[in-house]
Amino acid sequence: MNSNTTRVVAGIVVVVVAVVLFAVLSSGGDDSSKTTQSGKNGSPITTIEIKHGKPVGGIAQLTYNEGEQVRFKVDSDVSDEVHMHGYDIMKDVKAGGSVTFDFPATLEGVFEAELEDRKEQILELTVNP
Amino acid sequence: MSFFLPLAHALVARKDLPVPAWLFAWGASLVLIVSFFALSAGWRKPRFEDEKWRPLSERFSRALLSLPVQVLCGAAGVLLLGFSIYAGLHGTEAPDRNFALTFIFVTAWLGFPFFSVVFGDVFRPFNPWRAVGRAVGGAFALVAGQRSAHLRYPERLGRWPAAIGLLAVVWLEVVYGASGGVAVGLSPHACAVAALVYSFYTLAMMALFGVEKWCETGEIFSVYFGMFSQLGGFGVKDGRLGRRLPLAASTHWASLPGSAAVVIASIASTSFDGAQEGALKDAIVQTFEWLAETGLNLTTSLRLADTIFMAICFVGVGLVYMIGVRGMSTVRGAPPLRELRRGFAHTLIPIAFAYLVAHYFSLFVFQEQAQFGYLLSDPLGTATTDLFGTASNGIDFKLLSANAIWYVQVGALVVGHVAGLTLAHDRAITYWGDYRQAARSQYWMLAVMVAFTCFGLYLLSVANA
Repeated sequence: MNSNTTRVVAGIVVVVVAVVLFAVLSSGGDDSSKTTQSGKNGSPITTIEIKHGKPVGGIAQLTYNEGEQVRFKVDSDVSDEVHMHGYDIMKDVKAGGSVTFDFPATLEGVFEAELEDRKEQILELTVNP
Repeated sequence: MSFFLPLAHALVARKDLPVPAWLFAWGASLVLIVSFFALSAGWRKPRFEDEKWRPLSERFSRALLSLPVQVLCGAAGVLLLGFSIYAGLHGTEAPDRNFALTFIFVTAWLGFPFFSVVFGDVFRPFNPWRAVGRAVGGAFALVAGQRSAHLRYPERLGRWPAAIGLLAVVWLEVVYGASGGVAVGLSPHACAVAALVYSFYTLAMMALFGVEKWCETGEIFSVYFGMFSQLGGFGVKDGRLGRRLPLAASTHWASLPGSAAVVIASIASTSFDGAQEGALKDAIVQTFEWLAETGLNLTTSLRLADTIFMAICFVGVGLVYMIGVRGMSTVRGAPPLRELRRGFAHTLIPIAFAYLVAHYFSLFVFQEQAQFGYLLSDPLGTATTDLFGTASNGIDFKLLSANAIWYVQVGALVVGHVAGLTLAHDRAITYWGDYRQAARSQYWMLAVMVAFTCFGLYLLSVANA
């Protein structure tokens, strides 16, 4: 390789290394901010509060590893059906009432739970392998 | 002021997990090593300019290309399109329970590229608009005793109508559909209306310019699926089916103006769909809030914000390609810029395909279970029909593990990267003849490819929509 080639190659290396570092750092940051729940068996249960048909504080984020037990409670001021997609678990909730979900995290991926009639997403459930 | 963003996909009950950082780093490193290797191990004579076409058995070829088979395939295409429109208009408005959306945006829109890359242009015989156009043309010839006359297609337009159409299709799905005010996605009714409007438009264009001419230049689906079929190992030549060197047919694909725009539109729209809930999410939310504060209604603001960023993706991807082309034009002995711009467009087709696989492979596998399960038995989603006894089948999300999906995603990007580099090196040898100058020009394309591949990896590592 002549000097010109070397220079270009060196340039590419620098760019790629920079991109790799950037991504590793930024995705590391993402992970920690998304983890709101370690999800061990017997851990305190997360409550999603629904006010005027919307989740208080935005869409709740829950992260588990495969095999752990997913547990959360929905306190709602409206009557609707809570649908945990992917796992396809549906539970009715009355206005002023609450429902509890308790199931093993068997499917990997990112799934949403929504108030079915309102089409309002209330939870993003992440299950890591 | 802050608003709730009605972000959600029409069909997807599940999203992919982001590619973990270590795999991202490995993928990017692999790309780098492969690229180094490509720099040093270039060949000195073009190998892909000739597709080395060899005919398949005459009987097989004649049977597969016979008129009855053509009519049958065309009729199947028309029937499926007609049925999708019917289901969209008369079926349930729940996007995931209606045959129309999954069939059009998953089975056809993703399925044809996947199959075309292996088998060649499989869409052509099933193209419903081509079938109708040919039937009408044939009937006209029979009655009038002469073939119908057409306007001259303005050659300068080339494939631009298809490039813009491609952006429009994706826009309909991911921008218009994702922002219906509530998180329902594109409604089956809107999808059916769009299909009807497009059918009238494209049949009118076929009447004006001729069926084959329009399929080559403006018919979105023919051009888009046809582009991917150029990578495939099978093709028809002089009415005969044959095998060819994979990738090779693509070297002659970009002969029309606007071809580069089609590939760029493909890469850009996949990037946007991947980035809108990940890398670009914050920027989109900010733009949306800013637009909403100016008094626009929420749905309009969101669509506008998404549209702006989709346009930015198109311009950005185009710009990266143009920088590569500009760079190459500075190498001594380079052909004119116009020629270069068109001459390397096909080298991005493998990248476009890799993006498609990386972003939609899992969606395709999962959603096809719905397509051939409950959507086939209960296409209108009325919960009262069960044609094949599969109406209550669900989707088995255990079919693919997160690890399997990650490896397919990263693998697709790396393979696409290698294929793109291969085609680019080959084309450079054709233009420059001299091996040293060709290699020098390829530092530029190599940078372009590394940029696209690492960007693709980055999108996957942040989040995938």
